[in-house]
Amino acid sequence: MTEHATPTEPVFTTERKARLEALATRYPTRQALLLPALWMAQQAHGWISPEAIEEIATELELTPAYVRGVLTFYTMYHTHPVGRHFIQVCTTSPCNMCGAEDVVAALLDHTGCGDLGATSPDGRFTVIEVECLGACAFVTPILINDDFIESVTPDTVADLLARYP
Amino acid sequence: MSDATVSLSIDGMDVTVPKGTMLIEAAKQAGVVVPHYCYHPSLPSPAVCRMCLVEVEKLPKMVPACVTTAGEGQVVHVHSPAAKKAREGVLEFLLINHPLDCPICDQAGECELQDFVFQEGQAGTRYADYPKRFNPVEDFGHDVLYIPNRCILCTRCVRFMDHVAEESVLTVSERGDRATISIDPAHRLDHQWAGNVVDLCPVGSLVSKDFLHKARAWDLDKTASVCPGCTQGCNIMVDTRDEVVVRLRPRPNLEVNRHFICDTGRADYRWMNRGDRLEEAAVRGEQGLEGTAWESTLERVAALVAEGEGAVTVLLGGRVSTESIGWILRLLSGRRVTAAMRVPLGDEVPLAGMANLALRAERAANLHGAQLLGAGADWHAAVASAPDTDLVILVDAPLSDTELAVVARAGAVVQLSTVAEPGLENTAVLAPITSMVEEQGVFINRDGRAQRFLPARTPPGMARPAWWVAANAWALADEARTAPATASEALAALPALDGLTHAQLGFTGRVIAPVAAGGVR
Repeated sequence: MTEHATPTEPVFTTERKARLEALATRYPTRQALLLPALWMAQQAHGWISPEAIEEIATELELTPAYVRGVLTFYTMYHTHPVGRHFIQVCTTSPCNMCGAEDVVAALLDHTGCGDLGATSPDGRFTVIEVECLGACAFVTPILINDDFIESVTPDTVADLLARYP
Repeated sequence: MSDATVSLSIDGMDVTVPKGTMLIEAAKQAGVVVPHYCYHPSLPSPAVCRMCLVEVEKLPKMVPACVTTAGEGQVVHVHSPAAKKAREGVLEFLLINHPLDCPICDQAGECELQDFVFQEGQAGTRYADYPKRFNPVEDFGHDVLYIPNRCILCTRCVRFMDHVAEESVLTVSERGDRATISIDPAHRLDHQWAGNVVDLCPVGSLVSKDFLHKARAWDLDKTASVCPGCTQGCNIMVDTRDEVVVRLRPRPNLEVNRHFICDTGRADYRWMNRGDRLEEAAVRGEQGLEGTAWESTLERVAALVAEGEGAVTVLLGGRVSTESIGWILRLLSGRRVTAAMRVPLGDEVPLAGMANLALRAERAANLHGAQLLGAGADWHAAVASAPDTDLVILVDAPLSDTELAVVARAGAVVQLSTVAEPGLENTAVLAPITSMVEEQGVFINRDGRAQRFLPARTPPGMARPAWWVAANAWALADEARTAPATASEALAALPALDGLTHAQLGFTGRVIAPVAAGGVR
C-alpha cells in the first residue's frame, strides 16, 4: 500500500533513514542500496521526483545523473506522478484472447482515466497494460498497487474499484 | 622472452609488447587497426560497443580487444571471417535506428561509424519496414549539442565527464532502443573542458555549436600546431578552410595534453582570421609613415640599432616564437636591453583526472622561451623604462592606453606587428610580421618542452616572420654575417638552443630545459 506524502517532503525521515541504514549492513557498498532507496522514495511519494533523486544521491554518495540513469533503466519506477492506486493489467496473449481488452476498457471507463497511462481527474487511479503477470490460468489478472487480483471480468471491475477509495 | 614483455601474433604479424598491454594497443603495433567505438586510450574501457571483438585461437568465444590483455604466444585474428561477421552484426544493429543523415552531419568525413560501415558493413538493411525511433535534439551546454538519433551509446562522453573532468552530469538513460545519453536536469555541460566530448564522440551525436554547419571535414586543411593560449602548450590541430581558421582541435601528445584541450583554447581562434592585418612595411619620412619595400625597412632598423648607445626596451607579445625572441635579442647584442613578455593572467583551470594538465594562469604561450633567452624581465618595469630609452621594439604586444602613453615618450619605436598600433607618434618603423598560424616556429612550455608549430595559412601582404626581419637587419650590419634562411636554421643558431633543429623536435616536442614550473615575476 502506498503511503502518499507530498513529494516535497524528504524521503528519508528518521524512520525510513533507520530502515535504509539497517539495509546498508547487507550490502558491500552504499551504491548497492540504490534500488531499495528508490523503492522507499516511490512508496513514500507514489513516484520519484527530482528532489528525491537529489536526496538519494546525497544519501548514497552518488551523482544525481547516475541515479537518474539507474532509475530510468527500470520500468517499474515512476518518473512522473501517478494516481493513488496504480493498476496494472495483463494483456499478454492468453489474457488477450480471453478478453483482457474488455477488462482494460472497463477499467478505463470506471476509473475515468480515459487513456492508458493517464491519471483520473480525481487523482485516484492510473491504469497501464503490462506483460505477463504469470497467472494465465486465472484470466484476467491485475495488480492494484501491491494487491494481486485474479479472474477479473468487466462485470467485477466496479465492485473491485470501490475497495480502493 | 623476458619478464616484462610478451610476444604474440596478430593477423600473422609477430609483435612484442610490454606485459599488461591490451590487445587493441598491441594490434596497433602490428599495424592493425581493430575497429572500435567505446575504447579510447585516455578513458577507462567498459567494453560496451562490442565492435572490437577479435578471435583468439584456443579461446572458445571472441573477446573484446580493448579489455583483453595480450598473452604470451597468443594467435589473434582481427580480420578472420568470424571476426568480420561479428562486426558486421554489430554495425547492423547500430544502423537500425541511425538516421543516416550524413549529408547534413558535421561529422561526415571524420565519422567512425561511416568509416567502419564503409569498410565492413552491409550495403542494405533488413529493417526497412520499421520506422526508426526519434528523439529531439538537446542543448547540453554552451558549445555542445546532442543529437540522440545519431548516438551509438559508446558512453565515451559519460566516462570523460565521470573520470576525467570529474563532474558527473551525463548518464545513459532508459534502456534498449530507447536509451539515450542524458544530462542531469539541474546542470548544463558547462565544465571548462567539456568541449572534449565533441572530439571524443566517434559519430556526429555530440557536435560543437561553434562549428555547426561551418565546413565539411574533407574541405579542411589540417595543420599541426601548438595552442597559443597559455604556458601549458597543448598540442593542437589548426583546421582551415580556404585560408580561414574554422576550428582548433586537440592533437594527441601523451606528455603534454593527452587527447584534450580546454574550451578557452578551443574558442581562441578568431584573432587568427583578423581582417585588419598590417600588410605593408612603412618607415617614418617627411610625410609621416611612408610605405616602402623590405630593403629600406631593414636598413632603417639596422641604422636605428647601430646609431644609438642608450638602453633598448623590447616588449613582446605572448605568442612570439622562440626564434623571433632570440634573433631580436641577437640584433640588439651590444646594447643595454630590457626585454619582457606581456603575460595576461587568468584563473588556473585544471582538468581533474589528468596530472599536470590545466589551463594555466599565465596566458602566454612562450613565457618560458622568453625566460630561457633572457627576455624574462618584469613587464611593468620594462614598460616604465621605455621613456628613458632610445629605442623600443614592440613585437606584437597589445598595449593598454596608459602603457601606450608611456611608450610614446621613448626615443623611437620599431613596431614588428600583425596589427599596427596607430597611437604611437614616435613609430620609426612599422614592419608587418606573420602570426603564429602563418609561420613555423617553436614555443617552449612551462616544463621546458620545445614544441613546434607549422604554418596553417598564407601570410597577408608583405608579412614576414619577426625572426626574419631581425636576422636580416642584423646581417646588414656586417658583410660577414648571413641571415638564416629557415626557422629551423634560425632556432639552431641560437646559443641557448645549442644547435637544436625543428626536425629533432618531431611532432611531440622535446624537453630541452626543465624550467621551474609557474612563476610570473
